[in-house]
Amino acid sequence: MKSIAKDFTLISILLIPIGVAVNVVAGELVEILKIPLFLNQIGTMIVAMVAGPWVGAVTGGVSKLIFGIFNPTQLAFMPVAMASGIVVGFMAKKGMTKNVWKVAFTGFIVAIVAILIATPTTVIVFGGASGTGSDTVTAVLLASGKEIWTAVLTQKIFVESIDKILSIMVAYMIVRKMSDQYLSKQKYGHLYLNTYNHKNTKIGA
Amino acid sequence: MEKLRSFILSLYPTTKFLFAAFMMMTPLLWPGYIYSYLVPVLCLIIAMAAGKTKPYVDFVLKGLVPIVVMIFLLQSFFYPGENILWSWSIFSIKQEGIEFSLQLTSKILAVGSAIVLFFQITKINDLSRALEIAGVSPKATYVLSSALTIIPEMRLHLLRIMDAQRTRGVETEGNLSIRIKAFVPALTPLILSSFSSTDEKAITLESRAFTARTKKTSLHHLEKTKSDHVVRAILLIVFVSILIWRFFL
Repeated sequence: MKSIAKDFTLISILLIPIGVAVNVVAGELVEILKIPLFLNQIGTMIVAMVAGPWVGAVTGGVSKLIFGIFNPTQLAFMPVAMASGIVVGFMAKKGMTKNVWKVAFTGFIVAIVAILIATPTTVIVFGGASGTGSDTVTAVLLASGKEIWTAVLTQKIFVESIDKILSIMVAYMIVRKMSDQYLSKQKYGHLYLNTYNHKNTKIGA
Repeated sequence: MEKLRSFILSLYPTTKFLFAAFMMMTPLLWPGYIYSYLVPVLCLIIAMAAGKTKPYVDFVLKGLVPIVVMIFLLQSFFYPGENILWSWSIFSIKQEGIEFSLQLTSKILAVGSAIVLFFQITKINDLSRALEIAGVSPKATYVLSSALTIIPEMRLHLLRIMDAQRTRGVETEGNLSIRIKAFVPALTPLILSSFSSTDEKAITLESRAFTARTKKTSLHHLEKTKSDHVVRAILLIVFVSILIWRFFL
């Protein structure tokens, strides 16, 4: 418990609302650009990368709470968003967000966890529907004689893996663009310090 | 009407929450789906009385109706059953599927519309103050209210960035790959600038003793009134009677 509380420094608490707002606004941008994905956990992933798994989990949870004000069905997917934050945070701690290939692998793990949690939620709570365009995939699979669990699972494998891997790639690109000065103030920011610059600039020079 | 409106809006946030929780729990206890379908209607009446008809209807239509329609389509065609009501080539609508859809969607509509109503009649600032009074850490309530104030600000910022990127030649319309390519140049400056502003926020908050371990005074005044106690008492009595009727009679 103590180690969890240690992650919540003032600076990381201030990251949570910004991560939440990024999730909401990125979700709206996806709608403006009519991209058939969600990409609404990029903020959670950035926060999880620089501030650790628990701060990431809170960011994911609060995001779904805010999404829920406009669309209450989103509240049911709160555990998925929280798990994404936790997984990204732990993988980051283990140094699994240091280059593009490792990030892709992390995205893959996040997708698996998301599929495992989202599938039962969708089938049990919503009878297999999600109210989005990806329902057509479920319907086609059901029409081809698949069972509801198989149909939803297959649909989730398609949607979640593309969505989560793309999201974490965008998150990684953005974290890489943060300045060393900014990253050095974050709890896990040292993982992304630009070592090339580090060698060539002396402190105080 | 005006009196009823101010009565609803001036209730204490947790009283409103108890009411919403009541509207969510009772459909799960009550057998059948007629009552559950009445809950959204009841919520609509309250929303009308509170002068929040438009946002309530908007959010219910956008958030709940699409999923309810999809559940009906998926379940009525593909739920295993014997009693076929209507069929066309390989597709057939079954009685059991309709029955299952009615049960499921009535509960989703009831719970969903209660949540929508709660957020329409409760100001988040009031809610976070009530949570603080109930003993929740001010840091947690700060996160909640700050997220909601940052969103509109960031939305404006995003539109500005998109305009700026368009003038630089970033295409935002066209086929899917063009639109996906526009995603990153619009989002990156937005995220980087918002994240880097946390430093200044930390200094501002620190200068106002945000992390100091003292009791803080609030300018936001919130008080329970007589009507809160009346509403709470009625909710409790009705809820207990439903429990007794359901499990003991």
